[in-house]
Order: sequence, then structure tokens, then C-alpha cells
Amino acid sequence: MAAGPYNYSYIFKYIIIGDMGVGKSCLLHQFTEKKFMADCPHTIGVEFGTRIIEVAGQKIKLQIWDTAGQERFRAVTRSYYRGAAGALMVYDITRRTTYNHLSSWLTDARNLTNPNTVIFLIGNKSDLDAQRDVTYDEAKQFAEENGLMFLECSAKTGENVEDAFLDTAKKIYKNIQDGSLDLNAAESGVQHKPSNGPRGANLGGESSGNKDPCSC
Amino acid sequence: MAAAQNKVKLFENVLNQEIISLEEIKKLCFSGCPEEASIRATCWKLLLNYIPPETADWKSHLKKQRESYAKFIDELVQNSVENDNDSSTKDHPLNTNPQSDWNQYFKDNEMLCQIDRDCRRLSPGLAFYQYETKYPYGKIFKSNHETNPLRKRLAGIALSAEEIHTNKVGTFQKNKEIKKKAPEQLSDGEEYHWEVVERILFVYTKLNKGQGYVQGMNEVIGPLYYTFATDPDQSGQENAEADTFWCFMNLMSEVRDNFIKSLDESKVGITHKMQQVMEVLEKIDTPLYIYLTKNLEVKPQYFCFRWITVLLTQEFDLPNVVRIWDSLLSHEKRFDFLIYICCAMLKLIRGDILKKDFTAALKTLQVRLY
Ligand SMILES: Nc1nc2c(ncn2[C@@H]2O[C@H](COP(=O)(O)OP(=O)(O)OP(=O)(O)O)[C@@H](O)[C@H]2O)c(=O)[nH]1
Ligand SMILES: [Mg+2]
Repeated sequence: MAAGPYNYSYIFKYIIIGDMGVGKSCLLHQFTEKKFMADCPHTIGVEFGTRIIEVAGQKIKLQIWDTAGQERFRAVTRSYYRGAAGALMVYDITRRTTYNHLSSWLTDARNLTNPNTVIFLIGNKSDLDAQRDVTYDEAKQFAEENGLMFLECSAKTGENVEDAFLDTAKKIYKNIQDGSLDLNAAESGVQHKPSNGPRGANLGGESSGNKDPCSC
Repeated sequence: MAAAQNKVKLFENVLNQEIISLEEIKKLCFSGCPEEASIRATCWKLLLNYIPPETADWKSHLKKQRESYAKFIDELVQNSVENDNDSSTKDHPLNTNPQSDWNQYFKDNEMLCQIDRDCRRLSPGLAFYQYETKYPYGKIFKSNHETNPLRKRLAGIALSAEEIHTNKVGTFQKNKEIKKKAPEQLSDGEEYHWEVVERILFVYTKLNKGQGYVQGMNEVIGPLYYTFATDPDQSGQENAEADTFWCFMNLMSEVRDNFIKSLDESKVGITHKMQQVMEVLEKIDTPLYIYLTKNLEVKPQYFCFRWITVLLTQEFDLPNVVRIWDSLLSHEKRFDFLIYICCAMLKLIRGDILKKDFTAALKTLQVRLY
């Protein structure tokens, strides 16, 4: 690990979007706490999670913004998209309406983030296969047509949850490596940490020099 | 002990007047209602203009209001198209005419499912809502032991009524795990407190079509129902459902702007209120204001959207929320005062925030239950 004030070298900002009740908060909780929170209250506005992961030997801190799905809060939730490097777009495989709304979520994501933002489609609640209302194949096709990465996950069993978050990070990291994501561009959603490295767009000004108190 | 009794006396002196001075009640409530003798429930009903200051009118007024609520129940809950066996109507479930009763019925079902999802998860930190009420539907609105028609309706929609597993500890019975049955498994006469809240919200939404149900209303109604359903006065408790409905109507008429999207950017909307929090903070704690807005670039919508929209119900546990509401409801400029409470909350955790970076500061700001 680099001998800097940080124990990670990048910060990636993620947003999680999708209709209400599809399991966004549960996915976040499963990813950060490795637990299923069945009675998680609905989200009003936005909630946060962080976790440090490793990609290609680099420690990356994910700063995850879990947004509210309620249509009423959309005007406010849109203000959270700015500067996201990754967007997890979630629907519920047992409720077709949540799948039908994806194009509107996608439009928001495309309009409010930058062109390099990695969008990952998640079909959540894969444990409820018996109540399935959206097939794997059609969602896969939708993802391909729109250039999205895709997995079916379960926040309940944890199936594929790790992968969805990590694959997104790998893709972002790859974009940095091959130069398609310019860290100096405004709102790249990535912040590079070593003091001598290039500084990416501000994710909200992590005060430099401070030891991160949240190195969970 | 003596001080507490003294406090009760002070309240009783004011409440026993023929015409209650709202000024004096507000002054007393502001520093907290005592738990005894139904005082809080009565004061809240006064503060929310549900009952008039003339004590002699209470009985007839309450009777009238409770009867009108029972009528709403009859029209909106008991008699839906489903139960309408009038064969002369040409309507049928596949009717796509937007005016069709059936069409409306299916739309309502969607709304009902949403309310249901939110009410099942009502105050997960507090066991209260997961207990059975002593005054279920069948007892209050019907003389027989009929089941709440909404429960049957939800079962019909085949909502994945998976048993939600909670082990949360209740305020009332600490360390005792509650055995929860899904509502479908309760016998006909029984129902949970959250099902009562669900019914009130359903009726409210049906009567306020323009606005519809918005998540967060379930949280705003929480402290009202809790206060009335735990009222030491038996008749108050028995009528908690109807009383909550009317008080919720009155409260919503004051805060509904927070729930209307088109008003977001207007002077009465939520964006303006969040800005006000920052303006007040700048005046009372400039260093914190500068650290938040300039160093961290934290926007108020990252943390106080929830504080304001649901009137702090998510930030503290319910008994404390109720205490805060004593002050909030009795303050002359109720919702301006809310802005000051938000600033006080920020001041309380300022030391923590000033040491932290963006992510950690936001986590601190977002923690529920201070
Ligand atoms: N069976 C199953 N249930 C799930 C899963 N994920 C979430 N749920 C349930 O779905 C409901 C909604 O989950 P949340 O995580 O609160 O949904 P959300 O997308 O955050 O909803 P909003 O905050 O309202 O936008 C909860 O009752 C969860 O218990 C899953 O993978 N499997
Ligand atoms: Mg959520």
C-alpha cells in the first residue's frame, strides 16, 4: 500500500437508481454489511454506503449513493447523479412495471452523468424465481441493445451482488487505464488519492491531509 | 416526582377551563406534555384544530367527526365495486374506459399495494406497530367480527406476502422477541396497528386524489396514531383511528407542499426550506457552515431533505419524536421552528463533522436515531 495518508488510491462514486421497492437499499446493505435487511425502511432522499475493494492490486473506495425510487422525490434525487462514475440501475424480476420503467431511468442516467459513466443493470430478487415476471433473456437483450452490463442478483441470498459492484469498478478502472476516462475531466466521478497523482473531479472535497476516519 | 405532578396540575388547570386558552396550552406544551391522564392526546387534538377550545362542544364534535369517518370507511373500504352486485351496471373488470369503476379499482390496488409495503415496514425499530390493536375493524365499524376488507383485497392481489422476519426489540417489551404472524394468519377479528394506519392512509388518498399517496406520509402519520392509540383514556384509544385521520388531514394541509413536486422550487416548496436551514446555519455557526458548504461541498438535499419532509420522524425513536412534536406543534410558526431544530441538530454533531471528510461527514449526518 502506498505510504500516503490514505489506505486506498481511488474513490469511485456510484449511484443506485430504480423504482421504489426493487431492493436498492437491500443491495447496498448486502454489499457493505453482507447481511439482508428485510425490514429496511423506504429511502427518502438519499443514503450512503462505503466499502473499500481491490481491483488489480489497487485499493478503491466506493462511495455509494442509494437514492429513493419514489417518483415524487425524483426532482431531488436527480441532484445526486452528478459526477457518478458508476450507476447501478435496478429492477425487480417479479414486478414487470419496474422493468418497463427502465428506459426512463436510463434517460435520466445518461442525461445527468457523463458519457463514460458505467451503467450496470441489475435484475434483483432472483431468489423469487417462482414469481418471475421478467425473463432473463429479454433483460439481457435490453442490456445489450443499450450497452449496459447485466446480472440478475439477490440482495436476500447475496447471489451476484459482489460481482455487480466489483465488475462495475473493474470496468471503470479499465476505462482509466486505457485513457477513455479522463480523471481531470469535470465530474468524472473518480478521485485519485496519492498526493503526487493527478486529481480527478471533486467528489465533494475529501479534505486532504485528514486521515480518513471511515476506513471500514 | 413533585415537579412532575406539579406539571400535570398546570396542564389540568388550563384544560379544565370552559374555554381553553390556546395560548396557555401552547406555552405549556412547548416544554413537553406529561404522559399522564390523556394530556398529550388532548393537547395535540387542540393544537391541530381538531377539537375546539370550548370543552362543552367536544362530545358532540367528536361524535360527529367519528361518524363521518365511519361513513368514509363504509363508502371507500367496505363497498368497493368488487362487492357491488348490482347486475344492472354494464361495468366489468376488462373495461378499459378510464371512467370505469373497475379501471379505478385496479389503479387503487396499485396504490394500496404501495401503502401496504410501506406500512408493513413502519418504524421497524419499534415493536408497537407489530402488535395487535384492541380496536380492530370489526369492533369499531361493524358489530360482528368482520375482517378488514383491505386485507382481503390485498390477499386477492397476491402480493408476495412473504413473512417479513424481524427481531427488533420493542420499546414496550425490551428484549422480548415478538412472534409475528402474517396478517393473513391472524384470525378474523384481529389486526395489527400498522393495518389500521394502512386503512387511514387508503381513505386519505382516496379523498385527496389530486395528490395521491406519497411515501413519507406513512411516517408523518406515525406519531399521531401512536399518541392516540396509547391514550390512557379508553374512549380516546377506541377512536384512535378516526381521530388520527382527522388530525392527519389537518397536519397534511400544512405540510402537503413538501409532498407536491411542482412546488419544489417555489417559496413554499422543500428546496426553499432546505436553503433556509443553510441560511440560519450560516448565521449561528459560520465555521460549520463554511466547512460544510465550501470545504466539503455538501448540499442540504444530501441530508436534510428527509429531516424536513417527514418532520424528523426518522431521526429519533418514536417516544422522542413525540416529545419533539410537542414543541413543534405548539410553536407559533411551526414549520419555521422546524428549521431551527434542524440547525440545532447540526450544532450538536458539529464537533464530529468538523473532523471528517465528505463521506464520513455525510454518514454522520445521515445516521438515524441520534
Ligand atoms: N425476496 C427478496 N426480497 C427482497 C430482495 N431485495 C429486497 N427485497 C425486499 O424488497 C423490499 C424493498 O427493498 P428496499 O431495498 O427497501 O427497496 P428500495 O429499492 O430501496 O426502495 P425505495 O427506497 O423505496 O426506493 C423489502 O421488503 C425487502 O425485504 C431480494 O433480493 N429478494
Ligand atoms: Mg431504498
